[in-house]
Amino acid sequence: MTQDSVPAVPRAAIEVEGVARSFGDVHAVRDVSFTAAAGSVTALIGPNGSGKTTLLLVLATLLAPDAGRVRIAGFDPVTDPRSVRTRMGWMPDILGSWATLSVRQTLETTGRLYELTAEQSRVRAAELLELVGLDPLAEQPTRVLSRGQKQRLSLARAMVHRPEVLLLDEPASGLDPAARVDLRVLVRRLASEGVAILVSSHVLAELDEMADAAVYLDQGVTASADRVASSRAGARQWRIRALDPSALAGALASEGVAIASTDHLGTLVSVASETEAAELLARLVAAGVAVSAFGPAVGDLEHTFLDLARGDAGEAGR
Amino acid sequence: MTRYLDTLGTLVQLELRQRIRSVAWIVLVSVVFVLVGIVTALLWFSLGAFGGDVSANAAVYSTIIFFVLLVGTLVTPAISGGAVNGDRDAGTLATTQVTLATAGQIVLSKFLAAWTVALTFLAASLPFLIFSVAAGGVGLATLLVSLGVLVIELGIVAGIGVGLSALMSRALFSVVTTYLAVAALSIGTLIAFVLGGLAFQSESRSTFIGIDYSVGGEFDPVTGLPEDIRCLPPETYESPVPRFDYVWGILAANPYVVLADAAPTTFDRNGNPQDLFGSISAGVRQAQIPPELDRVQDECAAALAGDLDSAYTFESAEEIIERTVPSWFVGLILHVVLAGLALGGGIARTRTPAGRLPKGSRVA
Repeated sequence: MTQDSVPAVPRAAIEVEGVARSFGDVHAVRDVSFTAAAGSVTALIGPNGSGKTTLLLVLATLLAPDAGRVRIAGFDPVTDPRSVRTRMGWMPDILGSWATLSVRQTLETTGRLYELTAEQSRVRAAELLELVGLDPLAEQPTRVLSRGQKQRLSLARAMVHRPEVLLLDEPASGLDPAARVDLRVLVRRLASEGVAILVSSHVLAELDEMADAAVYLDQGVTASADRVASSRAGARQWRIRALDPSALAGALASEGVAIASTDHLGTLVSVASETEAAELLARLVAAGVAVSAFGPAVGDLEHTFLDLARGDAGEAGR
Repeated sequence: MTRYLDTLGTLVQLELRQRIRSVAWIVLVSVVFVLVGIVTALLWFSLGAFGGDVSANAAVYSTIIFFVLLVGTLVTPAISGGAVNGDRDAGTLATTQVTLATAGQIVLSKFLAAWTVALTFLAASLPFLIFSVAAGGVGLATLLVSLGVLVIELGIVAGIGVGLSALMSRALFSVVTTYLAVAALSIGTLIAFVLGGLAFQSESRSTFIGIDYSVGGEFDPVTGLPEDIRCLPPETYESPVPRFDYVWGILAANPYVVLADAAPTTFDRNGNPQDLFGSISAGVRQAQIPPELDRVQDECAAALAGDLDSAYTFESAEEIIERTVPSWFVGLILHVVLAGLALGGGIARTRTPAGRLPKGSRVA
């Protein structure tokens, strides 16, 4: 109950505390704790096999946790799965679809299974087809869909009953760049309407653009907030591109900034903080270097993720 | 309640849409139609060739019913045995489990759909059944009971198949296990019955008292017996006899026996059954009667009494059926319990959130 006393959290739509789940000897999820607020997008980040999908299955009322406590929209998935299912939408990483049904029939059937009337299901299916851009394929059987189209159908299916909590397992995989932008816009819009969204992915650049918060998962354990904060604050690489690379190299040398590496996109330097980066840019411009690009080499999430992973390796070495 | 049935209906419809539109189903139904047609034509002409009046009794009808039971129990495991684990493999089970549909609704809907599909095979044979009924000789009670038992037996196979598909992780295993269950009931009971009967043998003694034809003077031209009947000394033979009366209960679990035993049959003047129901039923009922372990066949006494044939009395099938107990409801209840257990176990295994999972199984 300590979570409830924290005033900074508006209302936790997803609460997870000390959750563990193993399959025989395989401890897929060992100790996961986090909260996600309504109206926010939370990224679930971790390498392959870190337990992301297992955790999502626990949250989606499909797997019972061995230990720990889960609340989805205030309800316990173990003791009251029906209340959770009414309020939660789950988009699985495996794109199963009823092969002989058309795209529209799939959504209408799903609506009926969420106890909507036939009429409500029909209206909702039409809305969702429009929303995810599957209108032209509405009457096609789902087996002819491409991977990306199936992904969009899967997302639409998760939203049939207007859930308060959306669990998306690798939603962007298989999507073309335009569809990824659409997905990002849609996810942000749903969040602005008050939906709590948990997105798992290992494409970190993409999560950077849509997530408000992140949960880092490694070998079934969530990284603590302190460690995330310190990793986030650590020195990181910035990429600088100048019209004349040799002038840039000279200017950096005279500023006493060491060049970490040089690649086809520009020169990488290590900078401790955003303030320091801003100062460096000002000095380079003042020195007459024609800078055309100046920015972090990797996104926030990736930086934190890689730093945490390195930290783990360091701890293991000790 | 209506909400429960509403969701169940949606799921059954979903399941049927997937199965009945498949090419495999169309091919199988056509094959069943052609096969039953051929069997009907062959029966019609071959039974007619024996000189019997095929339109006077249910011989053709009963044989078609048994053939449909055979085909039905061969096809139904294939359409039911992969229902739940097949969906899990296709990734459509978990997406249904996260909806408001319960495990009970999911498994029951698959059972009802598989049963319906199995009944379409019965429907494919319907033209020939109607033909044999129209030809005459099939009593209304025989018609209703045999069709009813056939429908229930197909449902039982569908139930076992769907239940096992939920209990076992791999579709291949559950289909094969369903076939094994059907084989165990159809053929296994027969093997167990025969071997069981042979295993419990009793020593039987039969005594024969014949007539001494070498003495006694002239033979009567009418009866062929000597004028003065003298008995021979009793001859005794000992031989082991199988005790099928100990194990006849095993056959009660056989679906063919259930069908035969349940359907009312008709007999001719000599008490012989006129259809396959009666023939099979009489054979099974006969097994209930313990063999006579000390049998005396006194031909001589019979001859002295003036009726030699009375030494050789045989019970007709009709008499046997009348003095033995029916067993079909025992078998039928056993089958229903089996299917119920499979379905119940399947529902428990499909329930989410899932606790312990068997090794190698997956959730989604």
